[in-house]
Amino acid sequence: MLKSKERQVRLGSRLLPVPTCTLLLLSGRNPKFEEKDKVDFSARFLNPPILCDMQVITVVINNHHRKLIKRIRNRKEDIKLQTPGGAGAGYNNAAGSYVNQNWQQGSYVNYGNNNQYASYAPEATAAAPTQQYQQSYNQWADYYSQTEVSCAPGTENVVSTGTANAVHSVPGVPGVPGGYVASNTQQPATFAAPWRPDSSSSDVITSVQHGAAISNVQDGYWKHGTPTFQTQSVGHVQSNVRTPLDSNHTYAGYQEQHKPVHPQGGYQEQHKTVHPQVSGAQYPATHQLPYNYYTSLQTVSPTVQQTVPQSVQQTASQNIPFDSRVSKMQIPTNPRIATNLVLGLSKIDKDNSVSGAAVRPLYVSVAPPKTNSEVTSHVGADSILKPGMFPNSLRGYVERALSRCKDDKQMAACQEVMKEVITKATADGTLYTRNWDMEPLFPIPSADRVNNEALQSSTPVSSLTNNRRSPSRRSKSRWEPLSVDKLVDKQPPHTPDTKYSGWFNQSEGGKFSAGRVVKENNWGHLKFTSSDPKVTNKVAQRPAKRQCLGDGPSGGDNGGGASSDSDEQSLTAYYAGAVALADTPEEKKRRESRSKRFEKARGNRSANSYSRPKTVGAGLYTKRTNALVLKKDFEEGNSRAVEDIDWDSLTVKGTCQEVEKRYLRLTSAPDPATVRPEEVLEKALLMVQGSQKNYLHKCDQLKSIRQDLTVQRIRNELTVKVYETHARLAIEVGDLSEYNQCQSQLQVLYAEGNKGCIMEFSAYNLLCVILHSNNNRDLLSAMSKLPVDARKDEAVKHALAVRAAVTSGNYVLFFRLYKEAPNLGTCLMDLYVEKMRYAAVKCMSRSYRPTLPVAYIAQVLGFSSVSSTAEPSDEKDIDAIEECAEWLKAHGACLITDNPDEVLLDSKASTSSLFMPEPEDAVAHGDATLAVNDFLTRVPS
Amino acid sequence: MAGSYISMGEAHHRITEYLNRFSDAVSYQDVTSLKPLLSLSSNSPYLLSLADALNIFQEDSTNKLIRQGHNNNYPDIVTPLFRSFQNFRIAHLVDSYLAFEKAANSFIQEFRNWESAWALEALFVVVYEIRVLAERADRELVSHGKTPDKLKAAGSYLMKVFGVLAGKGPKRVGALYVTCQLFKIYFKLGTVHLCRSVIRSIETARIFDFEEFPVRDKVTYMYYTGRLEVFNENFPAADQKLSYALMHCNPRREANIRMILKYLIPVKLSIGILPENSLLVKYNLIEYSDVVLALRRGDLRLLRNALQKHEDRFLRSGVYLVLEKLELQVYQRLVKKIHIIQKQKDPTKAHQVKLEVIVKALKWLDMDMDVDEVECIMAILIHKNLMKGYFAHKSKVVVLSKQDPFPKLNGKPVNS
Repeated sequence: MLKSKERQVRLGSRLLPVPTCTLLLLSGRNPKFEEKDKVDFSARFLNPPILCDMQVITVVINNHHRKLIKRIRNRKEDIKLQTPGGAGAGYNNAAGSYVNQNWQQGSYVNYGNNNQYASYAPEATAAAPTQQYQQSYNQWADYYSQTEVSCAPGTENVVSTGTANAVHSVPGVPGVPGGYVASNTQQPATFAAPWRPDSSSSDVITSVQHGAAISNVQDGYWKHGTPTFQTQSVGHVQSNVRTPLDSNHTYAGYQEQHKPVHPQGGYQEQHKTVHPQVSGAQYPATHQLPYNYYTSLQTVSPTVQQTVPQSVQQTASQNIPFDSRVSKMQIPTNPRIATNLVLGLSKIDKDNSVSGAAVRPLYVSVAPPKTNSEVTSHVGADSILKPGMFPNSLRGYVERALSRCKDDKQMAACQEVMKEVITKATADGTLYTRNWDMEPLFPIPSADRVNNEALQSSTPVSSLTNNRRSPSRRSKSRWEPLSVDKLVDKQPPHTPDTKYSGWFNQSEGGKFSAGRVVKENNWGHLKFTSSDPKVTNKVAQRPAKRQCLGDGPSGGDNGGGASSDSDEQSLTAYYAGAVALADTPEEKKRRESRSKRFEKARGNRSANSYSRPKTVGAGLYTKRTNALVLKKDFEEGNSRAVEDIDWDSLTVKGTCQEVEKRYLRLTSAPDPATVRPEEVLEKALLMVQGSQKNYLHKCDQLKSIRQDLTVQRIRNELTVKVYETHARLAIEVGDLSEYNQCQSQLQVLYAEGNKGCIMEFSAYNLLCVILHSNNNRDLLSAMSKLPVDARKDEAVKHALAVRAAVTSGNYVLFFRLYKEAPNLGTCLMDLYVEKMRYAAVKCMSRSYRPTLPVAYIAQVLGFSSVSSTAEPSDEKDIDAIEECAEWLKAHGACLITDNPDEVLLDSKASTSSLFMPEPEDAVAHGDATLAVNDFLTRVPS
Repeated sequence: MAGSYISMGEAHHRITEYLNRFSDAVSYQDVTSLKPLLSLSSNSPYLLSLADALNIFQEDSTNKLIRQGHNNNYPDIVTPLFRSFQNFRIAHLVDSYLAFEKAANSFIQEFRNWESAWALEALFVVVYEIRVLAERADRELVSHGKTPDKLKAAGSYLMKVFGVLAGKGPKRVGALYVTCQLFKIYFKLGTVHLCRSVIRSIETARIFDFEEFPVRDKVTYMYYTGRLEVFNENFPAADQKLSYALMHCNPRREANIRMILKYLIPVKLSIGILPENSLLVKYNLIEYSDVVLALRRGDLRLLRNALQKHEDRFLRSGVYLVLEKLELQVYQRLVKKIHIIQKQKDPTKAHQVKLEVIVKALKWLDMDMDVDEVECIMAILIHKNLMKGYFAHKSKVVVLSKQDPFPKLNGKPVNS
């Protein structure tokens, strides 16, 4: 009980973005599900009577929760993971359905997986599954690149078990081993024979064997089963990602990944096409499998009650392959009620056929790959770095190290190194004594070689997948040079194109040529499969990293208050980390590899572009990348003008729904999944405006909003508002550099005809030039650029008056204007007050003889809050006089106090004694906001 | 394509003639005949007819003509130059500029290899043409809604030329001309900060005396550096440079004199030297006449009105801030007048000017200023040494020195 609860917490943490996740893992904080999540998922933890040791989560997803489906998809793995031991039936079924989906999709990657496993499985049949998986992993390690694996033992297993599970999930109902195995053995009998030479048949065989094995084990199995599903979905990505070279294609991959989940698309289509053409022997095969599920479920009916409905539903869709309009994600039935599975299924069917269509558009939003990668990369960390046993500084260290990683390979490699470092430190006993804040970051391990291999071998896969998806659109992509052939040539000779085209035809609706399939050797498949996970991982992890920098711990849901604390804290830590990676050799290396990747991507372009009509985002993204490459070409060739590119069609349309996002300077093309669309940005702006957080936080948020606006080329009133908000905030805290950035953008925006507070900001601009740039030419140009009607505006008038006062040194006028400055003019003038006062006192000490009352100085130089004509409010006046006297003393003036009522400035004596004191808050580097103490207070302790 | 029909033979003849002239000019180092062959914007009938000929002639055969001659044809210069002529003729100024820049680059390459500075004049033509052409190309770009960047490109070409000339040797004499063209570009682009490096290179060079440069260039140089000093409000230096320009410029070039005076007058005003009104009238600088009058009379209102009236002009030429600073001298004049009047009334008490009197005087001028403000201005006047004396706060009286209470500036700027 306790155990499983613990696990749940850990699993919950996987929802978090990577660095935060690490942080939490290290700190042992309990990143429980948000209250909201609970509501969303209606997740309840039951204590099933039969298997009292295990917990089952029932997840009810109603139709009106449809909008959350994306997120659910995101977390599906987690949900499943939370069904330990006894819930195995559902779990396994789910896995089975995954296999089926993959298979039906015609993606040979999974076949490859299965084959591999099949060849291996017989040896391990009797062995305890844990060990078995471990072994299988070892074998797999050759295929999965090291980068994938490097994290921790847990992750390693993830990979292997993931595939394993997918394979033998069909029989995996541990509760009823006997009867179930029987039904399994039936499977090969009925349909496997005709398929024997095919990979899928061996698939089934393996699954039988493993079913037996699993039934013996249970707990050990589930331990490893836990991470399985994450990889499972990674597997999906694997099969679908076409363009491993570019993070862009994560999106595309994801889209496809979704496809099997919602059967009305790919799934059904495939069935339609496959069935009429498949030979008789095969026909029952496809059906037999689901049928078996069905029976097995019935046999295990008491267990079924506690199964995760998702998996049930997936099974359901398997059962009804012909009219499966079922959206698997949406199960309106309470599984506890659905004792009779058949009944429940029909219900599901009805409901979902209605909702299915509506769900579709939601695909636009992208996130799941993130989750996948997070999970894969952090399960490992999870297993070694047990929560609660590491110092805070180590957290920062880990975070810093991870923040340097630009892609999954580095991430994985870093984790590997980090693991070593931490293990070593633990062994040395220096884990707590070492100053992790000072610890130099290790160089990022190179993964270039592996990367290249992966690229080479995976390219044809992607291109073929592509062709399969959109053969008709290919001709439209005018950007691309046709270099596929070359890449295909690099493949081993025994994996010719035709073979794949066989598969490709199968799913596309072309002829299903069984003969070809038979001819296939596993070898070729394996080759492909092996390369894919790397690709997937890489692709999937990139956005994850980005998100981790942008998100609070609440991950999926709108960053509310929960995220703020760590957010603000880690802000400084993050910036500190960023400084460290400025120009290190690692950074250079990364840049190199990045540019290499870009080169490769060019070769691959033909495969990528216009991949799918439905995946708008992906297509757009690809186009964009191509255009960027193209632009490069243009620059080199100098043949065509860059203006000829239709930038409008290439502009990113964001899909991110998070309101809160941390600013991170882009180092690559923006990913639509992490870019917020306009309406979300509007919300984000409102959030910042209403926020009570400190300026740093707001500034960060506004910068990210500005970035999202820029990459989406949104230049309208919202943009103006954002910049105005930021400029005002910057003025308030005296952040002139940030203000200047905003101001220059605003001037362009206003010039483009966007409405805004033009006058207010013209006035600010004038004030800023007058008071802070002290450049006559700038001032002249600012004045001559003033709009015609600007001089009538209060704020502009005021600013011009201030200019006159400053140029003539008229301190009386200046401080009068200071007091009545409109908007935030006071804030800008504030920064000049000290200078003006000093100049004034210098002037006074020279001009007045013999003395000058301090009261007068206080009044004239704006010390008193009341203006000169106002009735004297004694207390305030006295305060002001005292303040003024203090100030005068601090500046070396000579004061006389003959008369107790009146302090006088001895002007003659003061003439020579006045000096400008060093500002108290001055720091060596000239920027008080970067003061060390201030910095330290913000660093998480 | 204006002009009547030209036969192929005629076109061929014109082109070969140009090529012959060009190669002859170069081989005989005859700069006077080379110059007109390069001056694109001169609109000489000769070049116009050449451009027409080029436009009907096949580009291939033109190129063949260029190549088939001897090596003296300098195909690297002539080929792009022809393209520039053609585009210029059909008013494709951007294309013309781009081609001309190519030709200019080839030309400077050749120029560098020539030992003597015989082609300096021709280089000047190239430098001038590229600047003028860039300005026109930019105008064309703006009219098409594109970013004008050709003048900037011309600027960097000129910097290259400057690099070629600025070294030791006979070519150095041309450096100042290029500098002046650069100034023109930078002032036009508003990137005057770029002038500094060129100025430093001119003024710190010991090997070449400034006076050895041609007068024309010296005047232009002084004019621009004088303007820079006006921006920096370094009035004595500005006065010196602009006066030099005025003294040495061609007295018949009234436009040039006017340009110099436009800056010299405000500079002189701010060091207390007022011009005759006839001068203003002669050079059509009447916008300054009210300013001068205000200074004479101590009429603050007149000054402010004059500034307001010509604000645009003053802002554009960059003298607005200079003129605005004259306000203090106007106040000085006003107090001086009050002092004079008081002296006539009661010489013994004349050195004590009551604040309220000044406030009243300003009120007559419609200047609504309260006591504090006027007191502040008096303090500033004393502080800036426009008035000798002190201010007694208690009695609100300006106590003037009995000796020379209003010192004249006499060519010195106001203390600041």
